[in-house]
Amino acid sequence: MTAPADRRGTVPDVSADALAPVRAELVRAARADADAVLARARADADETVRTARAQAASLLEQARQDGVRDGAAEVTGERVRARQDAWSRELAARAEVYAELRAEVRTRVQETLTNDAALRTRLRERARALLGAPALITAADDGGVTADAPGRHVDLTVHALTDRALTRLGAEAETLWAP
Amino acid sequence: MSAPGEIEYTRVRDLHGPLMVVEGVNGVGWDEFATIALDSGERRHGLVLEVDRDLAVVQVLEDTAGMDPGGTRVAFSGTPLRIPVGTGWLGRVCNGRGEPADGGPPVLGSVDAPVGGAPINPVRREPPTEAVLTGVGAIDVLTTLVRGQKLPVFSAAGLPHLQLAVQVAAQATCGGEAFAVVFAGMGLTHADAAFVRDGLAERSAARELVLLLNTADDPVIERLLTPRLALTVAEHLAFDGGRHVLVVMTDMTAYSEALREVSAARGEIPARRAYPGYLYSDLASLYERCGRIRDRPGSVTVLPVLTMPAGDITHPVPDLTGYITEGQIVLSAEVHTRGTYPPVDPLGSLSRLMRKGAGEGRTRDDHPPVAAQLIAALARAREVRELADLIGRPALSAVDHRYLDLEDAFLRRFLAQGADENRPLDEALDRAWEVLLTLPPSQLGMIPAALLDAHRAPGDDHPGAEGTPP
Repeated sequence: MTAPADRRGTVPDVSADALAPVRAELVRAARADADAVLARARADADETVRTARAQAASLLEQARQDGVRDGAAEVTGERVRARQDAWSRELAARAEVYAELRAEVRTRVQETLTNDAALRTRLRERARALLGAPALITAADDGGVTADAPGRHVDLTVHALTDRALTRLGAEAETLWAP
Repeated sequence: MSAPGEIEYTRVRDLHGPLMVVEGVNGVGWDEFATIALDSGERRHGLVLEVDRDLAVVQVLEDTAGMDPGGTRVAFSGTPLRIPVGTGWLGRVCNGRGEPADGGPPVLGSVDAPVGGAPINPVRREPPTEAVLTGVGAIDVLTTLVRGQKLPVFSAAGLPHLQLAVQVAAQATCGGEAFAVVFAGMGLTHADAAFVRDGLAERSAARELVLLLNTADDPVIERLLTPRLALTVAEHLAFDGGRHVLVVMTDMTAYSEALREVSAARGEIPARRAYPGYLYSDLASLYERCGRIRDRPGSVTVLPVLTMPAGDITHPVPDLTGYITEGQIVLSAEVHTRGTYPPVDPLGSLSRLMRKGAGEGRTRDDHPPVAAQLIAALARAREVRELADLIGRPALSAVDHRYLDLEDAFLRRFLAQGADENRPLDEALDRAWEVLLTLPPSQLGMIPAALLDAHRAPGDDHPGAEGTPP
């Protein structure tokens, strides 16, 4: 029962020789695969780096453009706000001047009525002309008069006269602030 | 002889809603403007609605709330309401009655004009021509606004019509010619009013804007005056000042509701949905004030915005408006739901005068055929979509699929636009071409071959695409 043992002992030697090229080829193929994988990995790494750099450059460019746009929008907004503020101040100043004009007109009308008895008489006559002789005429505190008849009223106070004068003045008041 | 306004009448017989009945008057005429003085020193304003012997019915703009019949005096001006007109209005912000809301003095002018306006002599009317470019691609390309035209925006609650109105008012131009915008806001909430002011700040700072704002808590009756003031100011800026003026009026439904309220208070017989029977002629008296006049410079273009209650286009306000105006821009809840701004419904929108403002020598020679082809293609796309709902997408032909692609490209590439994006017409038309070229050339039969060849990319023939299922 030794023959099989001999056959087994002989076969390995022969097989080892016969498989050497296979082994060598496997090793070579494995190395080639490894090299290819390595090369691909390197290429992938290079590509990843390239893509990342391109993406970074693109993001940078986008950020730059966004910054320029945001900056321009901010500048535009700031300019509009500045123009608005300036215009608001100008309007407020005009309103102030207009109010001063009204106050000045009122003061002058009041002074004139106080100093001019004939004018006061004319106001009373005007009130009677409007409402008729039986109208009740009352002197107002500010120097003018009011008159009442049934269902009708006439206001010739300084306040009312000033308002009417300014309404008639119209756009001439703009000469106060027009260049 | 008394000067107008010198005599004040003190017998107030009745106060009823916005109406006041004064007796004992003499020489008062219909539509006269009245100034009402209260014992508290407060002043209100009104218009004479009716006169019968010594009785006058006055419509009080600020309402009669808090008025004491025993302490009220009424002076009649002798004329309908007149306002000063001129460039003094530019850059100003006023309330719905034209009183300053910007801290400035009263608006002054060397001449004044009746707010009721004078109808333009039909013989002297010039037909609208040349475009007003809004910087909104969907409007400029598909429903071009023409100088002197009246083109309403039909919207519904919840849609961004105010945003669109402000965008148009902020961006509109007339090819470098003198231009101004008059914006009349009616029934706006304070948030909306602030939005309008902010959105138009640049134009206002450039003194190209007149802003009249009637807010929701202002007297309802004041709303009847606001659009008339706006148009009166605009007419003078246009026909005496030589500017092209765009008048944006929003919301005309709020205006019509104010008209209904006064009509009900007067006890008039109501017509459809309780609006007065004269709603049509009242709206026409506003819209018809736009136009161009022979031998006079400038133009008045009107863009009324109205909300259709429950989205109902047969509601009296959009219905009657549609009879008067020259087309409409319809906003769509469906497009809005898909997240696209501006949600213009291209198939429901139309500018009847577009041909007078678009094309060679006006905008671009390819403009009319591109607009027509785009509308036709979108109509077909809608049919295809409905068909796909019935038979399923796999059963559609290749060309049908291209139409669905076109509809998608239309929403994404053409219609969608930023609310602060001022899109030049050239860019908008180029985008329209981009959308159209989603289709094979054989489907673009409305475009002249030369134009098509000039815009097609080489090799873009897609032979065999038609009729083959995918």
